[in-house]
Amino acid sequence: MSGASSFGGLLRFRTAVPRMAVGVAALLGAMSFLGAWWLIVALHVVAPIFLPSPATVARAFWTMCADGVAMPNALISISRVWSAFLLSAIIAVPLGILMSGYRIIGAFLEPLIDFIRYLPVPALVPLAIIWFGVGEETKIFLLWLGTFFQLVLMVAADMKRVPGEYFETAYTLGAKPRQTLGTVALPAMLPQLMDSMRISLGWCWTYVIIAEIVASDSGLGFVIWTARRFMKTDQVMAGVIMIGLIGLLTDQCLRLLHRFLFRYQSS
Amino acid sequence: MSNTLGNTGSMPDQAGAYLRFESVTKTFGAVPVVQEPFSLDIPAGQFVVFLGPSGCGKTTLMRMIGGLDTPSSGRILLQGQPVGGPDIRRGMVFQSYSSFPWLSVRKNVEFGMRFRRDMTKAQKRERAGYFLDLVGLSDFASSYPSRISGGMRQRVAIARTLAADPDVLLMDEPFGALDANLREDLQYELRKIQKKSGKTTIFVTHDVEEAVFLADRIIVFGSRPARVMADMDILSMVGPVRDETLRDSERFFHIRTDILHLLRGRLREAGQEGA
Ligand SMILES: Nc1ncnc2c1ncn2[C@@H]1O[C@H](COP(=O)(O)OP(=O)(O)OP(=O)(O)O)[C@@H](O)[C@H]1O
Ligand SMILES: [Mg+2]
Repeated sequence: MSGASSFGGLLRFRTAVPRMAVGVAALLGAMSFLGAWWLIVALHVVAPIFLPSPATVARAFWTMCADGVAMPNALISISRVWSAFLLSAIIAVPLGILMSGYRIIGAFLEPLIDFIRYLPVPALVPLAIIWFGVGEETKIFLLWLGTFFQLVLMVAADMKRVPGEYFETAYTLGAKPRQTLGTVALPAMLPQLMDSMRISLGWCWTYVIIAEIVASDSGLGFVIWTARRFMKTDQVMAGVIMIGLIGLLTDQCLRLLHRFLFRYQSS
Repeated sequence: MSNTLGNTGSMPDQAGAYLRFESVTKTFGAVPVVQEPFSLDIPAGQFVVFLGPSGCGKTTLMRMIGGLDTPSSGRILLQGQPVGGPDIRRGMVFQSYSSFPWLSVRKNVEFGMRFRRDMTKAQKRERAGYFLDLVGLSDFASSYPSRISGGMRQRVAIARTLAADPDVLLMDEPFGALDANLREDLQYELRKIQKKSGKTTIFVTHDVEEAVFLADRIIVFGSRPARVMADMDILSMVGPVRDETLRDSERFFHIRTDILHLLRGRLREAGQEGA
């Protein structure tokens, strides 16, 4: 009786559910996915060469880790992602703030940036190779290209969203306009800013794989692409899952950090 | 320049300054908001309430005092000097986004002293402590605004503004978002604090009862374009003492009713003009 009513409570529109239920639901979601996958393979809906069973993929995953293929390549990809991401954030954050703080700079740059950010990164691969060859620079450049212009605009928008009342209050408390940059604008936008950076880090992962497939002899993208050449579907899938896991882990860490840094916010 | 607040951290507080509007008008683009030239003299230390229907230009007038908007014509004088851009002499408390969520209550109150070079850290802390105590928030000094109630957040903003020691205190519907009981408590406290500090205060509201309870003087505005309908000397009508018995008194009720009639009459008139 009470079980039935509390179960009904889980389905109430826009209502919080117990932590426990959240965990169980997430686990069930993952398990039903694995279950469906396993079922499809077990019923021979698809040939194993195209879709190996979860167990086979897990084994491939384990072998790749054990024989020292996965970790070094994962580290290479991670370091590419982070160097390109930091490079783009270091320029994008001040520039975005400038664009929003000084409207004339925004007017000058926004159309240009809007144009560039719609250029699809894969279309720029040939150009990048012509300019930089197939070395590290090409990959960093492509990742940077894919995130920088998006991030600049997101930073500018984050700053624009800071309520005008905060600035005006600060002025009437004796702050000069420039002083509000550090005392109002930055702290007020920081939670949003960190979210924007987290999102653009995710894009870096997308682009690093493209770059490594097209122009690389290392990294997870390269590992996946090589496995494909030998039709080792289980390794391809293990590689993809590894990318997903790294992404998930990074994202969760950043979320935790976010919650810790901005615990002054109402939950 | 007298020390009106007692020991506020080794720094004498400014008494309120007098304020004067000289034929002020304001037009946004082609839209006149204050069309009839607005003139008003506000003596130092007076508690003035701007009362009027929504959209009549109260906020606009207040923002012009704060230097956040500039008059289209005419000028505003503070202690005889025309006001320029916003500065520490005209402190403002807004209805929303009043306290900084990323700072603790104490850091919020210290915010206005942050830009001063003539005080030591210890002095700033001491002074913040004094004003926290004044608004009854000493126990919440290290809390963040999201952890305290809306009424407390407004008190933080008031303490922060007072700690910055402005010449005039500008408040734009600071209690607008609060429930009735809390509002009455805060009105009582604000009135006490204002008298104690002697700061010239302009308070915007469209709540008639709030206006009568708080004001030494009420300027009643008609709907737009802004027009002064009445300049009421509430101090001589109900005296300086404001407490809960006043709210129940017949005098209070009559003044309230008169103002309501005044506002309604104006609305009816406007309706007939429109028809
Ligand atoms: N920046 C602006 N640009 C154009 N019009 C404006 C601007 N600010 C205010 N107005 C207009 O001026 C009129 C008066 O606005 P104001 O905010 O001063 O009214 P108010 O008396 O404070 O009203 P309320 O009680 O609703 O806060 C409104 O009709 C508003 O639309
Ligand atoms: Mg208003």
